[in-house]
Amino acid sequence: MKPLTLDDLAALASRPAPVTTDFVRVQLDTGGIAAGAEETFAAFRSAVAAAALSTPVLRVGSHGRSWADPVVEVAAAGLPPVLYGGVKADVAPQIVAAHLQSGRLIDDHVIAPASGAAELAAPVTHLLVLDTGVGEAKTKFFQFSFVEELKRRGLADQIQVARALDLGVYDEGVVVTLLPAGVTYTNVLAPDVARIVEQSVQGRQVLDDLLWKRTDPQVRIVLRNCGSIDPESLPDYLERAHGYQGLRAALARTPEQVIEELKVSGLRGRGGAGFPTWLKWTNTRIQKSEPRCVICNGDEGDPGAFMDRSVLESDPHSVLEGLMIAGYAIGAAHGYFYIRAEYPKAVERVERALAQAREAGLLGRNILGTGFSFDAKIRLGAGAFVCGEETALIASIEGKRGSPSPRPPYPSVRGLWGRPTAINNVETLANVPAILLRGGAWYAGYGTETTKGTKVFAVTGKVKNAQLVEVPMGTTLRSIVFDVCGGVLEDKDIKAVQTGGPSGGVIPDKHLDTPVAYETLQQLGSIMGSGGMIVMDTTDSMVDVAKFFLKFCVDESCGKCAPCRIGGFQMLQILDRISRGRGAAEDIAALRRICQAMQKASLCGLGQTAPNPVLSTLRYFDEEYKAYIEGGPSYARKMARAAGGAEPARALAPATTEGA
Amino acid sequence: MNPSAHASGAGADPANESWRNDEGALLTMLEEVERKHGYIPQQVGDEVSRLLELKLERIKRAQAKLETGIRRDVQRHVARWSGEEGNLIMILHAIQNQYGYVPREVAMELSRELGVRLARIYEVITFYHYFKLQPPGKHNVTVCNGTACYLKGAAGLLAELRTQLGVGEGQTTPDREFHVDVVRCIGCCGMSPAVVCDGKTHGRVKPADIAGFLAAARAASPEAKP
Repeated sequence: MKPLTLDDLAALASRPAPVTTDFVRVQLDTGGIAAGAEETFAAFRSAVAAAALSTPVLRVGSHGRSWADPVVEVAAAGLPPVLYGGVKADVAPQIVAAHLQSGRLIDDHVIAPASGAAELAAPVTHLLVLDTGVGEAKTKFFQFSFVEELKRRGLADQIQVARALDLGVYDEGVVVTLLPAGVTYTNVLAPDVARIVEQSVQGRQVLDDLLWKRTDPQVRIVLRNCGSIDPESLPDYLERAHGYQGLRAALARTPEQVIEELKVSGLRGRGGAGFPTWLKWTNTRIQKSEPRCVICNGDEGDPGAFMDRSVLESDPHSVLEGLMIAGYAIGAAHGYFYIRAEYPKAVERVERALAQAREAGLLGRNILGTGFSFDAKIRLGAGAFVCGEETALIASIEGKRGSPSPRPPYPSVRGLWGRPTAINNVETLANVPAILLRGGAWYAGYGTETTKGTKVFAVTGKVKNAQLVEVPMGTTLRSIVFDVCGGVLEDKDIKAVQTGGPSGGVIPDKHLDTPVAYETLQQLGSIMGSGGMIVMDTTDSMVDVAKFFLKFCVDESCGKCAPCRIGGFQMLQILDRISRGRGAAEDIAALRRICQAMQKASLCGLGQTAPNPVLSTLRYFDEEYKAYIEGGPSYARKMARAAGGAEPARALAPATTEGA
Repeated sequence: MNPSAHASGAGADPANESWRNDEGALLTMLEEVERKHGYIPQQVGDEVSRLLELKLERIKRAQAKLETGIRRDVQRHVARWSGEEGNLIMILHAIQNQYGYVPREVAMELSRELGVRLARIYEVITFYHYFKLQPPGKHNVTVCNGTACYLKGAAGLLAELRTQLGVGEGQTTPDREFHVDVVRCIGCCGMSPAVVCDGKTHGRVKPADIAGFLAAARAASPEAKP
């Protein structure tokens, strides 16, 4: 690729993105590949070739629906793009034969999130049916009923009825979606079948009493390109995603104006602490010493979180663009991506993005002839959670042990090799190009008073659809878990949602209607964190959960300061005792005392926040602790059995002798 | 002069020539000769020392070859990252990618090459979980123990691995066939619980699936890269 110029970029900006109506997009990210997306990709290629079709089979990143991996998006035969989930290699030929060749959808794989559409602008071509109630048993019956009804009216060969995999509506009885308009009916009963066919399918009238009017609460800003562009192609990013237009917009202004735009947007650090991004950049910019550095923190060590991995794998150029804008704003010529070594695919794709950008003249000296010089490198993490803390991260990039150091001085004053350094999270940086392109005021239109914009959450645990969710700040936890992710697995009752990983806390059922924002979560004793959200049902023992997170922090403590090193270990001993039913009544008071000491006296965020899971479970579920203490070992054993062997030390002992 | 003839003449077992390759057997043989004669005949001593010198020479040559091999590798990695500040961790990554762990000889060579004290290199290696000081097994099984996997039964998978292989977290089977590891999170929470077996990630694993993975790994080419 020959080097780009500003004029090239300007020309790209005015050219509308090419509309593609014919494609098969296979979502190839780590999650998808784990589920067999590589095989699916190959199967599509050979099936399309065998059928002598010209439909391109493309590689894209992940849309975020990791529960349905491998996910494939198909647009062909005049139909709007359709998502298919659970597409193992053997399903690929079916899709090619049915969808590509005869415009028919296949059963049990279609994902069609309810769009909230209220008009039947085009004639109905397909009906999607799914029973979202308990047991999900009636799908086939309703498919049959619709087919019979259509036959009676002589429409059966024009309109297809397919069973769906997911319609974005949960616990609303039988759901029917009419394609291509996307009108969705919920709680459909047997007598409604004839009405729907007569009035909606034939008469193109919307039945208001059945209509699903709620719209999807998701807003995709960070994930805007994830799943729709090829993460390994720069032309794709440039032509179809307005790539590097944010950079162009930034370069047309002074660095101060760029920072001002960020200030208007109200963007705060998405790594967890929520420090205003514009302020961080200003603090770095006003330092006299040069050169300055900017770092992208991709050390997503928080177990259960995978949004940074997903963004880096699905849209690496947008993070790089954000990093470049940050570099321009603070006057830095060097950038670093600090990425976990456990994410080889992310590293590979960012490396490729860097090479492509360098080749296109987007990195290097005098970028686009504007006099701005910038280059970026990758540094790998090596499996230390504490390296997500900024001073520890800097030590790690410098090639040392990742021990944190006391602040101040803050990295913005003295950071990497003593230079002023701004460290931003992957998600923060992915927001930046969109803000520059569409304006800070547009971004600030989403969110709450104190917390603007959107946030990506990785919702996992005992949830039906474990996936990435991007919602405006201020959306309630209940809406995220139930409306977007379909509620609790096996329709059990929800007990709590854990946010913020090992530094966060649990939020019990009764507080799930709290709107998500940095402050509200803090008031509940948890934190926003990087965005991991773990759903727990009534069978999960909170003592066990607290022990799990605390064990994580104890393992990850770097050992530099005593409160964290000793306090954590002592707490773990106490928790272990309690969870084996050998606790004493005064243990709870002791736990609280140690928690306080750690919060006040620890050197870095890891130690200060490590007690959070313990404190928040004590706050909301202290009766569980008491039950363990009062119930003794027999109660503990009963709980361990209920959790299915969650007490490895005991369960494993006989197995060892067997194996040896 | 054939020493075995001597040895046999001196009373050692003529059929058993294991002493040629085994120091313990050699000593036993010499002792027996001494017991029989009251002294060790000149010729036996000469022949033994000649053979030992030959063997020593061979060992030295092999070692020198190994060392130049190591030196060449280390120099290559250092050259790749020379001129970059704070390159130690990246070099260690390259070394671990090559060997599967960080062997002590390589760390020593790296210390010489970079002019960094060995203690500082070990300080870094031992801090980060990712770097290993023990050679991995021929096949690596990694169980994800992120929160999502933990809640969905990673402990049960580990228990099953222990039943099947007799080893637990961070251990290698005595025959060096399998190494079992536990990691924090591989970011496949949508597919939890997850197990990585020889670089291939399996999602929604049940304890009953473990035996199948192990059999598949065994069946795969024995030279499978760790």
